[in-house]
Amino acid sequence: MSPADDEWSVLMRAALGGDARAYARFLADVTPVLRAVVRARSRDLAWDQQEDIVQEVLLALHRKRHTWQPDLPIRPWLYAVARHKTVDAFRARGSAVHLQIDDFENVLAADEPADGLAARDVAFLIGRLDRRSAEIVRSVGIDEEPALAVGERLGLTEGAVRVVLHRAIKRMAAIAKGPRA
Amino acid sequence: MKTQDLIRRLAQDTPPPPFSERGVTLATVLAVVACTTAFLSLAGTRSDLFAAMLSPLVATKTLLPASLFILSLKAALRMARPDRAPSHALRPLLLLALVAALMWLRAFANLSPDQRFAEVGAFSLSECVGFITLLSVVPAAVLIARLQHGASMSPIRSGALAGLAAGSGAATGYSLFCVQDNPLFFVTWYGFAILLVSVLTALAGSRFLRW
Repeated sequence: MSPADDEWSVLMRAALGGDARAYARFLADVTPVLRAVVRARSRDLAWDQQEDIVQEVLLALHRKRHTWQPDLPIRPWLYAVARHKTVDAFRARGSAVHLQIDDFENVLAADEPADGLAARDVAFLIGRLDRRSAEIVRSVGIDEEPALAVGERLGLTEGAVRVVLHRAIKRMAAIAKGPRA
Repeated sequence: MKTQDLIRRLAQDTPPPPFSERGVTLATVLAVVACTTAFLSLAGTRSDLFAAMLSPLVATKTLLPASLFILSLKAALRMARPDRAPSHALRPLLLLALVAALMWLRAFANLSPDQRFAEVGAFSLSECVGFITLLSVVPAAVLIARLQHGASMSPIRSGALAGLAAGSGAATGYSLFCVQDNPLFFVTWYGFAILLVSVLTALAGSRFLRW
């Protein structure tokens, strides 16, 4: 067992015990690794689409974190989930992912792109969403209300609110980008 | 959303209860026992149950599905964790299929041609296949609902295993009622009913066990 393996296992064990700070550190620590895995498989995807997949993997790790057995090393579990979700993500995108962005690849990799949404008219984008997603984006995404409270108001679980939010923001990003993709 | 924001939000969630093999097992066994007990209390066990059970052949009719229940439930639970290799859990299932096949062939060789399929009839078939399928509905639903809390890497296979477990659990209970002691009958038709349930739950798995 490598030292890093040990450290991640320790962090996740604390996280499952309710230590939010350990959990945030665990997620932050594994993200670069996930990013490298996704990037290696998807060189022809735009940076933000790769990042979408990274976020999908993070969400899956989050939603299934209770299936890791704390007495086993975490890496095999982590990689199994990451592989499964990455393959899923590519399958879901199908052939639509073949973008002609090779020319921009170096530029995109070089500087971290701006949030995209921030520069646009957010209200306009929210207006294009269905009512429930719009409500969630407004209260969780902008007003920073806790997802749990919003979920209670809308009759959704905390996790479901996050999923809706995540998807809505992706949809808004797609709208902001226009019909290019 | 920026990834660091996503992480900040995810970290605020309260951790879910751990996936517990024991909890899933308990719920499934309870569902099987409840359904078959209800059935047996209405239909009754076969009248000569205790005498019949002394015959190894009759005892196998109960023991074979009972072992299939245990093994397939174990395999389904193993597959519910992403980091466990399922292949080890599947091997004993093949062994069980082999035992059933050998019993079938032995009975085929030992019985005279007119005895072999004497019990096969529209009523006995629909009774056997119908009851086993019916009795496995609730256990299958309970098991699949519980497995949703897990994270199977292959939802269809997990669904199929759940059906094997539910079907064989139901067949175990049904065998205490059934009076067809010819392996050519019970291996074939119990097997058919269990596989039928398994195909249906494989379809259910492809829908409900994705994540």
